[in-house]
Amino acid sequence: MNLLVSEGRSPALLALEDGTTFAGWSAGAAGETFGEVVFNTSMTGYQEILSDPSYAGQIVTLTYPQVGNYGICEDDFQAPRLHLCGLVVRDMCHTPSNWRSVASLPELLRSREVVAIEGVDTRALTLRIRGGGAMRAAISTTDLDPKSLVARVRRSSGISDRNHVAHVSCGIARTERVDGAVKKRVVAYDCGMKKGILDGLTSLGCEVRVVPWNTPAREVLALDPDGVFFSNGPGDPSQVWATVEAAREILGEKPVFGICLGSQIVTLAARGRIEKLPYGHHGGNEPVMNLFTGRVEITSQNHNFGTVFQSLGPLVPEESGGLSAHEKELRAWSRRGVAPVVRNPLWGRIQLTHVNLNDGTPEGMRFLDIPAFCCQYHPEARPGPSDASYFFDSFLRLMEGRNDFLAPDANDGRSAYAQAR
Amino acid sequence: MPRRDDIHKILVLGSGPIVIGQACEFDYSGTQACRALVGEGYEVVLVNSNPATIMTDPETATRTYVEPITADSVERVIAREHPDALLPNMGGQTALNCAVELDRRGVLKRHGIEVIGCDIPSIRIGEDRELFARAMRDIGLSVAEARIARSLEEAREAATRIGLPVVVRPSFTLGGAGGGMAHTVDELERIASQGLELSPVGEVLIEQSLEGWKEIEMEVMRDAAGNGIVVCSIENLDPMGVHTGDSITVAPCQTLSDVELQRLRDYSLAVLDRVGVACGGSNVQFAVNPASGEVVVIEMNPRVSRSSALASKATGFPIAKEAALLAVGYTLDEIANDITRATPACFEPSIDYVVVKVPRFAFEKFKGTSETLTTRMKSVGEAMAIGRTFEEALQKAIRSLEDGHAGLVEPEAVRASDEQLGKLIARPSSHRIFQVAEALRRAWPVGRVHQLTGIDPWFLYRMRDIIIAEKTIAASGLEGLDAPHLLAAKQMGFSDMRLAELCGQREDVVRAIRKVLGVHPVVKTVDTCAGEFAARTSYHYLTYESGNASEHESASRPRVLILSAGPNRIGQGIEFDYCCVHAAYALHDEGFETVMLNCNPETVSTDYDTSDRLYFEPLTFEDVMSVVEIERPVGVIVTLGGQTPINIARRLKEEGVPIMGTQPEAIDLAEDRERFSRLLDELAIPYPASCVAQTPEEAVRAARTIGYPLLVRPSYVLGGRGMGIVYTDGELTSYMEQASHVTPDHPVYLDAFLEDAVELDVDALCDGKDVYVGAILEHIEECGIHSGDSACCFPSFSLSERIVANVRETTRRLALACGIRGLLNVQYAVKDEQVYVIELNPRASRTVPFDSKASGVPLAKFAARIMAGRTIGEFDLPPEDRPFGYFAVKEAVMPWARFPGTDTRLGPEMKSTGEVMGLDKTFPLAYAKTREAIEYRIPMEGTVFVSVNDRDKRSIAPVALALSGMGYDIVATTGTARVLRAAGIPCTQINMVSEPHPNIVDAIEQGRIAFMINTPGGHRSRGDGFRIRSMAVSHGIDLVTAMSGATALIQAIAALRKGSLEPYALQDLR
Repeated sequence: MNLLVSEGRSPALLALEDGTTFAGWSAGAAGETFGEVVFNTSMTGYQEILSDPSYAGQIVTLTYPQVGNYGICEDDFQAPRLHLCGLVVRDMCHTPSNWRSVASLPELLRSREVVAIEGVDTRALTLRIRGGGAMRAAISTTDLDPKSLVARVRRSSGISDRNHVAHVSCGIARTERVDGAVKKRVVAYDCGMKKGILDGLTSLGCEVRVVPWNTPAREVLALDPDGVFFSNGPGDPSQVWATVEAAREILGEKPVFGICLGSQIVTLAARGRIEKLPYGHHGGNEPVMNLFTGRVEITSQNHNFGTVFQSLGPLVPEESGGLSAHEKELRAWSRRGVAPVVRNPLWGRIQLTHVNLNDGTPEGMRFLDIPAFCCQYHPEARPGPSDASYFFDSFLRLMEGRNDFLAPDANDGRSAYAQAR
Repeated sequence: MPRRDDIHKILVLGSGPIVIGQACEFDYSGTQACRALVGEGYEVVLVNSNPATIMTDPETATRTYVEPITADSVERVIAREHPDALLPNMGGQTALNCAVELDRRGVLKRHGIEVIGCDIPSIRIGEDRELFARAMRDIGLSVAEARIARSLEEAREAATRIGLPVVVRPSFTLGGAGGGMAHTVDELERIASQGLELSPVGEVLIEQSLEGWKEIEMEVMRDAAGNGIVVCSIENLDPMGVHTGDSITVAPCQTLSDVELQRLRDYSLAVLDRVGVACGGSNVQFAVNPASGEVVVIEMNPRVSRSSALASKATGFPIAKEAALLAVGYTLDEIANDITRATPACFEPSIDYVVVKVPRFAFEKFKGTSETLTTRMKSVGEAMAIGRTFEEALQKAIRSLEDGHAGLVEPEAVRASDEQLGKLIARPSSHRIFQVAEALRRAWPVGRVHQLTGIDPWFLYRMRDIIIAEKTIAASGLEGLDAPHLLAAKQMGFSDMRLAELCGQREDVVRAIRKVLGVHPVVKTVDTCAGEFAARTSYHYLTYESGNASEHESASRPRVLILSAGPNRIGQGIEFDYCCVHAAYALHDEGFETVMLNCNPETVSTDYDTSDRLYFEPLTFEDVMSVVEIERPVGVIVTLGGQTPINIARRLKEEGVPIMGTQPEAIDLAEDRERFSRLLDELAIPYPASCVAQTPEEAVRAARTIGYPLLVRPSYVLGGRGMGIVYTDGELTSYMEQASHVTPDHPVYLDAFLEDAVELDVDALCDGKDVYVGAILEHIEECGIHSGDSACCFPSFSLSERIVANVRETTRRLALACGIRGLLNVQYAVKDEQVYVIELNPRASRTVPFDSKASGVPLAKFAARIMAGRTIGEFDLPPEDRPFGYFAVKEAVMPWARFPGTDTRLGPEMKSTGEVMGLDKTFPLAYAKTREAIEYRIPMEGTVFVSVNDRDKRSIAPVALALSGMGYDIVATTGTARVLRAAGIPCTQINMVSEPHPNIVDAIEQGRIAFMINTPGGHRSRGDGFRIRSMAVSHGIDLVTAMSGATALIQAIAALRKGSLEPYALQDLR
C-alpha cells in the first residue's frame, strides 16, 4: 500500500549479509526474522508459496510487485501452518477481490505471526540475489538501524546449520483415505509434504500412510505398502540422514518415487552427490525437457539443492548413444535426443529422464534395475502449470509393475489429477 | 525438428490498409516474420497493399508486391512467383480470409502450395462459430449458448430461445464488425440485419450474453512437437460486453488465483490442440463468472493478433518472430530467448511489473454516431504503459493518450450531478474511467460502483487508492510533501502536471521541487524473466523506487534520442512510426547509439531490436525530459514523430536539450501563420488570402474582405481536426463558437478557399544549402478535401512541366528560407495555372512512406542522416526530374461502417484510418488497383445512380456519357436527370429519399444499384444525400462523392475492360 493512502504504518528493515539494506513498511506481524533470502518468479500463487513447508528457513521475495490481489482462499493452503521465515514484497494488497477469498494476505500474515516487509524494490533485491547467491538476511520491525541489523545477520546461522525437515514433518503418522476403491497403498515420508502432492496420490486412488521423516525403514516395510514416496521439504538434504538411511533400505524392496527433496534423498541413497545451486529454482516457468517424449514441460520449481547426475556412476555407452564420457552440460543430451544411463555401484543402471533447459541441471531420473524414479520439480504444481502431472500416473503404473511407467503416452492429454483440479 | 529444407520460397500475406480492428500491429508481426524467414535463408514473397509499413520496405522481403490482398490479386502474384508455401497467420483476418478463398478456388492445390503456420481447417474452426462451439464441447469446455442465424427470422427465433439480452456476432468479419449487444427486439433486428449484410457468408451468431463476467485473454504458442506455452495472460478492466480492443486491459491477469489461472492455461492449450493449430501463436479468450469462477470459452484466433502484439511488448517475448520460425519447422526449445540469449524460447515469461493498455478513440470526428462501447471495436489506436503497480501504469497510460488528461480527471465528469454520474458510469464509453474516478472521488462505495459498472472491485480499490492519494496531496500542498511522500506520489504514477493541478501550482515548480528533493526516476528492464537471468537487450521503462537502483548502462557511442508518435489516431499513425524506424536504422549505421521513445504497443518502433535502446514511456514533456536526463543524448529528433514531439520541441530546447535537425524556431516560423505569411510576402510566393481571428465578430469582419467560401481551422492541429469550409456568416459564427473548445489558447485561421483547384503534396529534404524534392503528389480530389483523405498520384498525371518546375523551385526557396534541416512538406493549390502555397509543415509528413515506396528514395533515412550532419551532396540521389515508367496511386481508407449515423462525405477534416497503394503502367490501372485493395467492388455492369450538386451539374454530362457508352444504365434524381436528358444521355428519373415510393431507397434495397455518384450540396449536412451515403455504406455499394473521383473511377473501369492488372514487385522498379 502506498504511503499516501495509509499513514502511520510501522517501518521495517530488510538487511542482507552482503551489507545491503532496504527500508520499507511492515506488511505482516511485528517482530524480527532471520533466514536465507530467495526470490520466486511466479506471478500468482503467493498463498501456495507461503504455505509450502519447503520454504522453512527462508525469507521469500516475490518478484511480481503487487501481491495479495485475490486474498486468501481456504482450499489453496499447501500445509496447515506457514513455515517460511518471512516475506518481501513491493506492494501489498489490503483490499483483495475474489469470490473465494476469505481474508486478506496481511491479515493472514499477522494472524500466523509471519514477519513481512513491503515497499522494497524487489527487482533490485532480486538482481542482488542473482549476483551474490542466496544469502542470509533478516527482516525487522524493531531494529531499524541498518548497521546493527546487518551485523546480526552476519552472526545468524545458515540454512544448512539446521534440520528444518524435523521441524515441519508430521509428529505422528496418519492415514489419508480415498473416496472410492483403494487401488494402491502408499507410505509417504513427510519431509514437509505439500497438500497438492497428497491430493495427487489420493485422486488416483492411493491410500496414503503419511509418516514422519525419521520413521525407520523396517516399520514402513512392515506395513507392506505397494510403494513408498519421499516428499519435498526444506533445507539441506545432508541434514536428513535418517530419511536417506531409510531410503537405502527401501530401494529395491518397494517401488519408490521421490519429489524435490525426495529426489535428493534418493540420490544420496545411491551415494550420489548433491550441490547447492547459486540461487536455486523458485518459480512456475522453468522449461524441462522430457528426454522420453522430446517434449518440453513448463514446470513449477522450488529448490536450492540438486543432484549432480555425473556423480551417480560412469556412463553405460551402449545405452547412452555410444558415449562413454560424461557431458559437462546435461543440455547436450537434450540436443542429442538421448536419455543417458549410468551404472550405479549400489543400484545398477540409472537413467536421466529430464533436464532443465535453462541451466542444464538434472530434473528427473529413473532406476532401470529396481523400481524407482524421482523428479526434482513439482508435478503437483500449486502454484504453477500442470504439464508434469502425469508423474502421479507414472507412480501408479510403477506400482502396477509396468516397465513403461514413464512411456510417452503417460503424458498424453491431461492426467486424472489435472482433470480433478 | 530443425529448419525445413523442402521449402525455399514462402509467400507472406500482410493485412492491408490500417482499419479499425486491424492496425499496425500487423506491420509489427509481418515485419518480424519476414525478417526471421529471410534470416533463415528463405526467399520471402510479400503481398501487402499498405505502403506505410516497414514490411513493404524493399529490404524486408525478397520480393515485395504492394498489391491488393484479394484472391484475384494474390493469384496473379502466385502465378508469377511460384512460392512453395503460404504463411497466412501474420496478416490478421484479411490474410486468413484470403488464404481460405485461395484454397476454396483450388489455387493452392493447382500451384502446389503448402499452407504453413496454420492450416485451412483450423482457420475454419477458429472462425466458424458453430464448428468452434462443437469443437469446444468435444473437449469438455463450455461455450456461451448460441445459435446460428442466416436470416432475420432465424435471428428472432434464436433470441427467443436463448432469452434477451443476446450478443449478435457476424461470421468472418474484422474486429467483430457488425456485431453488438441486443437488449430489445428492436435492437436485435437492427444489429442482426446489419450483421447479416456485413458477414461475407451472410451468417450471424446469436449468443447468450455474458455481461458483467470477467474477460481474460491467453496468448498461447505451440510448436509442431506439441510444446505449448502461455506467453501472457491479459485481463480486461471492462467486463464482457466491451470489445477487448476498446477495453482498458491489464497484463498479467490481476484478479484470478493461481488455481483459476492454471485452469485457463490448461484450457487454452487444449483449445489449440483441438482446433488443430499445428504451430504458431494464437489467442484464446475466456469469460469468467466473477461470482462462481465458471468459465466459458469465447473465441480463439489461430493467428497473431492485436493482443499478441500487446503481449509481445508487455513481456519482451517476440511472438511473431517465433511463430514464423515455428512455421518452418523449428520447435520452441530450439529457439533461443532473444533477451537472455542463454535460455530457450520454450518457457513462460515472468514479468515483474504491471502493463496497462488504454484505447484511443476518435468520436469527435464522427458526429452523430453513438459513443457507447459495445462488442464492436471503435477505437483507432492504443497506448501502453509499464509501471511497478497497476496504479502507476494506469496513470502513465492515461497521459500517454495525449488527449489532454494529466491524470484521472475529466471536467465533464466533475460537472455531472450525482444522478447523471450514476447513469454515465453504467454505460461503457471512452470517458468511463474518468467518470468512475469521479464517483470514487465523491466517496461512492466501491460496492456501488462495482454494481453499476461490473468492473472488478480490485481495480476499483486501486483507483480509490489513487483518489485517496490525490486528496492527501491536495490537503498537504506541495510544500507539505517531503521526499518520501513525493516519491510515493510518483510511485503511484502521478505526473508533475497532475501534482501541479492538485496543489494549485505550475508544472515547472513541481519539477523544480522534485529535483531539489532528489526524487527522480530509475531505469528498469523488460527481460522476460523477472530478473532471474541477465538481459542482453536494452528494453526499458522508468519508475520510481526507494533506493534508486537503476539499470542504466553508460554509452559506448554518442546517443541520439528519437521521439516517436505515440498512440495511433486519425491523422497521426503508422506513417510517422515508419519515419522514426528509418531514422533508427540510418543513425545506427552512422555510428550512433539510437534510443527510441514511444508508448504505442502496435508498432515496429517499439520492437526492442529496432533501435539500440528502447524506452516504453509516455511522450509528455516530463517523461521525455526524464529519458533525456538519464541518456544525455547528443541530439533529440523531434521532426519525424508527427505533431507529438513538435508540440514539446520548444520547451525541450528551453531546457537546454540539443534538438537535431530543424530547430524549434524554424518550426514556429512555419506554424505561426502571420510570420509565415510575411515570409511568403518577402519571397513573393502567392498564397490564398488569409487572416487570423479570435472572436466570431473578428471572423465575420475578415470574411468581408476575403470573401466566401472560407477554409477555417484552429492553429496547431494535425489531421485537420476541427477544420471546416464555411459559406455564410451564420456558419462562420457557429464554427467560431465551437472552435474555441478545440484549443482555447490558439486563434482560428481563415483562408480563402480555392474551389476546384488541384492540390499537391510535396515532400523534400533540405540540409541548409541544398534541397532535394523527393516527391510531388497530385491529388485526385480537389482542394477542400483533407490531403489525408484524398487519393493522390505519383508522379503527377496532369500538370505541365512548367508548373512542376515552379513547384520545385518554390519548395527549394521555402525550405532554405525557413531553415529546414531534414524533411519538410508543402501543400500547394494550383488554380488557373497559378501555384499557391497552402501550408508548410517543417517535419516528416504522412506521405513520406508512400513517396519512398513510389520513388525508391527512402526520404526518412536521408532526413535522419542530414540531421546527423550529412549533406545531400553526399547521398548520390537520382535526379528529381527522372522519368518513371509507372504510376503509383495512394487511396485513403475510410472507417464509415464503424460509425453508423455519421455523414460519409469527405471534407477538410481528416477521417481516414489508413491507405493503400496501387502501382501500374497507367494512372487508371493504378487507381483501379487501389479500389480492389480496399475491396470496393468495381461493378463492370449494371445500374449507376447519379445525383450531383448544382456546382457539378455542368461536369456530370461527360462522365455520364462515358458510363452510358460503356453500357451502364443510369438512374438520376430530378435535377441531374434534367441535365443528362438535355445532353442527350439516356437515363431513368428516380425519386429521392424524401420523395414518395418507389424511390432510390427501394432500388438500393432491391440490390438494383451497382454504384453511386453523389456529390454533396455545398453546406447542408443532414439531407437526402446524407441518407443515401449512409445506405451505400451499410449495403457495401461503391460510392463516389467528388467529380474528380468519378472521373478517375470511370478511367479505371475503362482500363480494366481493356486488360487485366499485372503485379509489380518493388525490387523490379529500381
